[in-house]
Amino acid sequence: MELDFLATVLLSSLSSASILLIATLGLAVVYGLMGVINLAHGEFLMVGAYSALTATQIGLPYPLAIPIAVAMTMLIGAIVELLIIRKLYGRLFDTMLATWGLGMVFNQLAVLIFGTVSPGIGMPQWNFQIGDYSLAVYPIAMIFVAAVMLAFVYFLMTHTVYGMKARASIQEPQMAQAIGIDSSRVNTMTFAIGSGLAGFAGAILLPIIPATPSMGLFFAVKGFLTVVVAGPVALTGSAITALGLGGGASVTASFMTSVIGDVFFFLMTAFLLWLYPLGISAKWRRKL
Amino acid sequence: MFEKLHNNAGLIFPLIAAGAALAFSGSLDPYLAFVATSWVIFGLLGLSLDVIWGRGGFLSLAQTAFYGLGGYFGAVVAINFAPSLGLSLLWALPSAFVFGALIAAALGYLIFFSRMGELQSTILSYTFTLLLWSVTQTFKIDIGAAVIGGDNGLSNIPGIILGVGEEAKKLKPNAAFACVVFISAVVYFFTRWLMRSNFGKIVDCIRIDIEKTELLGYDIRKFQVLNFAYSGAVAGLAGALFALWANYLNPSIFSVQEALLVPIYVLVGGLGTLAGPFLGALIIGALSFWLGGGAAGGQTTLILGAVLILLVMFLHNGFLGALDNLWRRFLPDPNDAARDAGAVKIDTDVLDQILTEAAKQAGPAKSLSTDEAFKKFGGVIPVNRVSREFTPGKPYSLIGPNGAGKSSFLKTCVGIYRPEGGTIRLDQDDITRTQIFDRVHKGMGVKNQKPQAFGDNTVFDNLWIAAFARTKDKAAADETATRILTMLGMEGQKAVQASALSHGQQQWLDIGMVLCLAPRVVLLDEPAAGMTNEETRELSLLVRTLAKHTTVVVVEHDMEFVRTLEGHVTVLHQGKLFAEGDIDTLRANDAVLDIYLGRGEHV
Repeated sequence: MELDFLATVLLSSLSSASILLIATLGLAVVYGLMGVINLAHGEFLMVGAYSALTATQIGLPYPLAIPIAVAMTMLIGAIVELLIIRKLYGRLFDTMLATWGLGMVFNQLAVLIFGTVSPGIGMPQWNFQIGDYSLAVYPIAMIFVAAVMLAFVYFLMTHTVYGMKARASIQEPQMAQAIGIDSSRVNTMTFAIGSGLAGFAGAILLPIIPATPSMGLFFAVKGFLTVVVAGPVALTGSAITALGLGGGASVTASFMTSVIGDVFFFLMTAFLLWLYPLGISAKWRRKL
Repeated sequence: MFEKLHNNAGLIFPLIAAGAALAFSGSLDPYLAFVATSWVIFGLLGLSLDVIWGRGGFLSLAQTAFYGLGGYFGAVVAINFAPSLGLSLLWALPSAFVFGALIAAALGYLIFFSRMGELQSTILSYTFTLLLWSVTQTFKIDIGAAVIGGDNGLSNIPGIILGVGEEAKKLKPNAAFACVVFISAVVYFFTRWLMRSNFGKIVDCIRIDIEKTELLGYDIRKFQVLNFAYSGAVAGLAGALFALWANYLNPSIFSVQEALLVPIYVLVGGLGTLAGPFLGALIIGALSFWLGGGAAGGQTTLILGAVLILLVMFLHNGFLGALDNLWRRFLPDPNDAARDAGAVKIDTDVLDQILTEAAKQAGPAKSLSTDEAFKKFGGVIPVNRVSREFTPGKPYSLIGPNGAGKSSFLKTCVGIYRPEGGTIRLDQDDITRTQIFDRVHKGMGVKNQKPQAFGDNTVFDNLWIAAFARTKDKAAADETATRILTMLGMEGQKAVQASALSHGQQQWLDIGMVLCLAPRVVLLDEPAAGMTNEETRELSLLVRTLAKHTTVVVVEHDMEFVRTLEGHVTVLHQGKLFAEGDIDTLRANDAVLDIYLGRGEHV
């Protein structure tokens, strides 16, 4: 009985941490490979969710709706990079302000197009039992999805020509250009991939988190904190931070209220930043 | 005449504007007066961001958090006291001011004393606002007569009451407008005075070059926290005014939409201008007031989001910034004087005199010693168990091929790098873990490889801020700065911005700033880079004179310069001490030639 409870809390916390990681990974990729914080990341997630929702509403099966959401957000991401981000290279805080404004524009557009309340997506609910406790299958499956996503990004960065160019561009920008890497094109691709990951997150989380115009903000706080606590080694750092902080907050929330979980999350990040003012990975030797 | 007007533009035009607003406040349409009051309040909120962002250099997205918290706190106080005693302003404003300052100081302490990264700080401030937004939705508490009801908000906040006692009535819209204009004007002029005071000058230096400011011996963390606290106080004050104006507060004051407005006001008006945010709030407010009724009515967020993007991309200086640039074109350019700079001529008598007096004030020269100092970056070890003592008398030169660890060794001594092992001593004082500014207090003076001067400031102000760091006295700093200025032969360039100087002149200016500190140990990293042959000769004379009074360590590549110093020479190689002696012995040393030329077994 006691053990069942513990296993349940552990599994659901792991699942919350994985959901956080899924929602944050795109942000981490863009930050890690471009040095840019995209404050509209949450809104890209929202765009992905609405794209998937619309696709299912016109009759497509849900598994097909996910790639559509990814393609949609990648396209928007590429356009945003070409029109805005590219003009602001090297101006970190200006990029933040511009993407912040962009997020608000997306938010308001979603209100205009879809209204503030949205229908859920009709998915059958499967449950399984641990002792007396019943758990939904889908959130638990997110642990697996997060692992696959992480592996995918890792593969993309280490085993493709694009990934090597992207890593070269962030580590030694001038050298990369000197050997003929067109870093602007690489950056457009990186931003599109980051946006696509956000879109994927919005679509894959749709059965758990219904699409609303302000759903992005729900992830914004934790996502941004996760990435800055992670620091320069964005990928590994974010995975560890998401696990630790997301899991910790979820454990706190399951014993108390979700607001206290949020407060715990904020205080923990403040504490971690006090210890590691430049992020936990500031002194790591690995780069990914 | 026009130059004077330009210098005092921040005083004269706001005075005229405030005067006009007060004069016409009585004849305004009451509804317009009511709405315009909120624009002034938003301007005040924008001012709070301009103080910390435009002047302090930290983009804080927590201004609406201080604004909201100040508003709630001031409102709770006013609700409890004003109905029976009147004078709602007297209760609400000071309490909101103090509360805003305390919250900002606490957040600032966390950010600045841990020396958090810029990005980390901004994101933390943003999430602080978002956290308040989510927490206040469900936060319910009764404090005396005040009922904070989560997303139902806090109502029954009294208006602006100036009278005393129960019968005191709240001000009519026109009088309330005049009152808010008056308060904002007082805050603006005080802020302007503060930002032009010595405190403001140091805050400006922190924005321009935070590392150099600390190398002058200023405890930057304290100044940043104080500046942030002041900015939080102004935001809190604005929040209390807003609460009294609206008579109602709810958690949406912490919302993203609300927070988004603040940088927009600042950017529209002009970053760092202090008056700009008021203009920005007025422009945005007036536009939505007169155009808001049309098709664009409900889409404020959409428009504001787009406006922010466009501002950041195309109009970074804002309205007042653009106006200032235009005006400057018609004024004589003070930087013209940079072109006819004379040659630097070091007068050893004057220098001797300056240094003797410095020794009287700052005490005798100190020795610098390292014991097994060790610093590594991943697999690279730029400082590998270096033990060395530097004493006054003759200059020390550190030489070695590129990547030998010369600059890293210097940076480890200064504290820019924290060593993993070993100890660093100033005389018998262990300073291995001491903060940089504290080492400067103890007598270290440092010039880094890249000349560091505060580019936006004039040559004289650069020297003055260095002198003030030591003397803490305006008159004494004036005197020291003038003497060093004369010695550097830069009187003609007194009013030139440091960024307009040539590389060599910036080197001299940086060295001059170090001299203003009257250091007991001087560390110079490649001082001769970018100097002409004549200048290098003068520099050599300066270093030799300096070494008679203090301990001097110089990192140099210019072997001819090192030879003229006639001092001790230490060769570093791969982070280790490699050879020592005078330059002629080392020139005859095969091993040293080997590492320099990349031949033989020592490579």
